[in-house]
Amino acid sequence: MRSRILAVVAVMLVLAVGIATTAWAQSTLDTVKKRGKLVAGVKTDFPPFGTVDSSGKNVGFDVDVAHRFAKALFNDEQQVELVAVTSGNRIPFLQSGKIDIVIATVTITDERRQVVEFSEPYFMSGSLLLVPKSSTAKSLDDMAGKTVAVVQGAIQDRDVEQLQPKATRVKFGKVSEAVLAVKGGRADAYVHDDIVILSLAKENSDLKAVGTPFMPRPYGIAVRKGDVEFVKWVNAQLAAMKADGTYDRLWKKYFADVEGNLVKP
Amino acid sequence: MTPAPAYTFEWAAVWRGLPYLLQGAGLTIVISAVAMALAAALGLALAVATQTGGRIVRSAVDAYVELFRNTPLLIQIFIVYFGLPQLGVRLSPFLSGLSALVLYAAAYNAEIFRAGLEAVPPGQHEAAQSCGLSPAQALRFVIVPQALRIAFPALGNNLVSLVKNSSLVSTIGMVELMFVANDISFNNFRTFEIYGTTAVLYVMLVLALTRVLHAAEMRMARVAS
Repeated sequence: MRSRILAVVAVMLVLAVGIATTAWAQSTLDTVKKRGKLVAGVKTDFPPFGTVDSSGKNVGFDVDVAHRFAKALFNDEQQVELVAVTSGNRIPFLQSGKIDIVIATVTITDERRQVVEFSEPYFMSGSLLLVPKSSTAKSLDDMAGKTVAVVQGAIQDRDVEQLQPKATRVKFGKVSEAVLAVKGGRADAYVHDDIVILSLAKENSDLKAVGTPFMPRPYGIAVRKGDVEFVKWVNAQLAAMKADGTYDRLWKKYFADVEGNLVKP
Repeated sequence: MTPAPAYTFEWAAVWRGLPYLLQGAGLTIVISAVAMALAAALGLALAVATQTGGRIVRSAVDAYVELFRNTPLLIQIFIVYFGLPQLGVRLSPFLSGLSALVLYAAAYNAEIFRAGLEAVPPGQHEAAQSCGLSPAQALRFVIVPQALRIAFPALGNNLVSLVKNSSLVSTIGMVELMFVANDISFNNFRTFEIYGTTAVLYVMLVLALTRVLHAAEMRMARVAS
């Protein structure tokens, strides 16, 4: 049995070393231009940044940004392939080359900075609680001894651990599952970015958003570590979007009705 | 053209994560072991019911087997965990995952045991009854032991699948091995190291299980001869 385990380990190491030493690539920007298409990771369950409408089309703030990037690259906003990612798998997807860029509500943190290259911030988000309409909870302080749902890989996993250590955290892979957990009474609250909680509260009449946005932090667009050329290009695009009014237009389109509750960037 | 830096392995991340991974492996062992025992018992009971019960019992078991064999385990887990609470049935996460695993594996086990029971030569029934055993006694002392021996290798394969399938309960927040692997790699991004280590842990678990099963099979063969 020991020899079989050793054999398995040996095979994996050979694979790993083989793959790692052949991982030489050019700047993603060149690859994308040569390919004629940008492959972007976006969310599909995170209103209003990335969702799928009833016809199966990706929609949202991040999706519009992805189309805008395609337009800047190829003068055709359709030359972008949108890949569905979650909070947990978006950075592994980027690292493994499945996608060129993550435009998926990534909060900029020091830990993540060590593994990806971040653009300038393009949004600020604090955290809020999503609770059943009947709940009397007002903030995270009321969650001592309660069960709090979070999404695996999202920063709130750690935030709740620090800010409310008396709560039991239950972690899900997707936003939709965390929402179901609250609806089914599996969790007393679901904690995530203010913007998604406000949007979910608006869409689900049996739920409500509570709290004042805590621990506000910026969102950034992420590209592979060390790809400075690409991140400069992304920053230039963001600046252009702000200068030509696109950013303001998207802000109004997606955030107008919850604007009062958001932390302004 | 700038060459991307080659991937550098950071095995210290594995070392730091190992206690948590082992804790996850502990729950994987517990839930798999309990599910195996229950799924084997339920599968056998259903198979015996089809052999001895009437037509209604047989169609009910058939319907159950077809329903649970022909739907993804993930859907069954989601129905038990997310769906049933809306009908007022709220099992704990552990019981939700466990019951889905048991129902799924028992559907396969029922077929495995049925094949085993049917493979026992009809002469055995007649011989047992001519020795004065009641039909129930014949089943208990003559037929089922032989059927178990015939069904055992297929049953073993199904139990191995069960250990691997238990990784699906990670989706309902159960802190088992797969969940822990996600939890660690989603935060430190050492994807290869963590999932690689997790794969090795699964190999160790399954190899240990196959050893136990092999020993049990040998023992049964000895008892029989």
